[in-house]
Amino acid sequence: MIGARKSSTVLLGLWTALVLLFLFAPLLLVALFSFNNSEISVLPIREFTLRWYERLAANEAFRTALGNSLLVAGATVVLATTLGLAAATGAHRYAPRLRTAFRSGASLPMMVPHLILGIALLGFYNLAQIELSLGTVIMGHSVVAFPYVFLIVSARLVGFDSSLEEAARDLGAGPARIFWEITLPLLAPAILTAALISFTLSFDEVVVTFFTTGTDNTLPMVIWSMLRVGITPEINAIATLTVVVSCVMAGLAEVVIRRSRQTTVGKGE
Amino acid sequence: MAARKARDFAAASAFLVPPALWIGVLFILPMATMALLSFWKVVDYNIVAEWTLANYERLIRPLYLGIFWRTIKLALIVTFISMIIGYPVAYFLARKTKRFRLTLLVLVILPLWTSYLVRTYAWMLILGTNGAINQTLQALGLTHEPVAWLLYSDFAVTLALVHIYVPFFILPLYAVLEKLDPRLLEAAKDLGGGRWRTFLHVTLPLSLPGIATGCLFVFIPSMGAFVTPELLGGARSIMIGSVVAQQFGVSFDYPLGSAMSLAILAIILVFATLFLRAGKPAGAA
Repeated sequence: MIGARKSSTVLLGLWTALVLLFLFAPLLLVALFSFNNSEISVLPIREFTLRWYERLAANEAFRTALGNSLLVAGATVVLATTLGLAAATGAHRYAPRLRTAFRSGASLPMMVPHLILGIALLGFYNLAQIELSLGTVIMGHSVVAFPYVFLIVSARLVGFDSSLEEAARDLGAGPARIFWEITLPLLAPAILTAALISFTLSFDEVVVTFFTTGTDNTLPMVIWSMLRVGITPEINAIATLTVVVSCVMAGLAEVVIRRSRQTTVGKGE
Repeated sequence: MAARKARDFAAASAFLVPPALWIGVLFILPMATMALLSFWKVVDYNIVAEWTLANYERLIRPLYLGIFWRTIKLALIVTFISMIIGYPVAYFLARKTKRFRLTLLVLVILPLWTSYLVRTYAWMLILGTNGAINQTLQALGLTHEPVAWLLYSDFAVTLALVHIYVPFFILPLYAVLEKLDPRLLEAAKDLGGGRWRTFLHVTLPLSLPGIATGCLFVFIPSMGAFVTPELLGGARSIMIGSVVAQQFGVSFDYPLGSAMSLAILAIILVFATLFLRAGKPAGAA
């Protein structure tokens, strides 16, 4: 019996390892090929090189697209985090009975495929005669990221000790002061995580961007249009770079979450 | 007291009105616009505000119906495979390991942070005629010519969609499995239920809500997939997402594309209801 239990655990563990391999091997392959000193992406790799990255660095279109991507992602972070934070704290504090309704409403954009979000925005911009630009892309991305911020901040608010806020209120502090001096610092880890996720969502977004951008390209759009022509080693390099950026963001988020767990535990003791 | 109420109201508005306006203008309004457009006409590449049901009539032509059906089938297959692949992983993470739990969890989440465009592209490198799989097969002498159906096929699209969305299945299921009351499992064991019986009669029914949410999270994006079928699908494996995109990029038939999008949303709503109903905890039924 114990033997059977052990072997089932081993089998499940093996299965998990295989699934993780399935998840990561393709990405590792792309990264490997980005250092391959050959025009075609074929195994085995005989010689390693950095020349695809050098070629990228010299590529004007790439540099512009990188700049655009950073601009769009930065603006998305500011917009989505501010709005999501305001909505989540507002709903939590002033509409406790409507909390579920707010949560369903705020997560609605998450339930719509990006394709449909993109074309809905395109149709709307078109009718409203708003010219497509990076600005319209940013507006679209802010809608994509908003539900994530809302849900992350809301989750943190649930486990939140509201007695601190009440105490401050009883002592006569106004809503603004309570928000700046108590709510915000306590929510900092959630806000940071939400900002990192917003950045990544925007930095990697391609479908909404595809429909709502004017003549300006972001990095994923460059990959997308290059892929329609054919596979080149530069694509491997750009792809690897974007994955590295995402992983750095994920790593930072992980650090923030672990830190906040420690401090919360520390305060409880 | 009244002053405090007024102040609270002002504060509540300050917090809630800007996001409500923003989402209202950039989400609700565009969705409403789309609904409106679906009842309008196109004359000489111009959208004309004249009411018509013609777009919906075109939807039920065999050509489009066929593509809708294909897409639903493919999305369901992707969902099903994700469930089969993902369930054991979620189960292992939640119930079988303590030491590696956090690390493994991070590893399951990490791919979700990376670009799905890049993850789709990776499969072009693997499945292509010069790709990793074909090279391996040929090196091993298993085939002499590259296997052509690997890329640009339903197979490629299904594989890549499972690859991209399986973490979406694992995570909600994990959350449910992790919260399972160990006393229930103990009780089942004490009553003489074997491991399989305990799993089938206790764990599995209790994890249904997690399965339902996971299925939903995989089904929704698969149903609206555009990038993956566009890059990995063949001429015959067209999905509805690509047809919708065509109406906005190439054909300038916004009304037809809008009607199609609403149909996709309706399909998603139907399946969401089905999944969530099937996922009601066994005790509630």
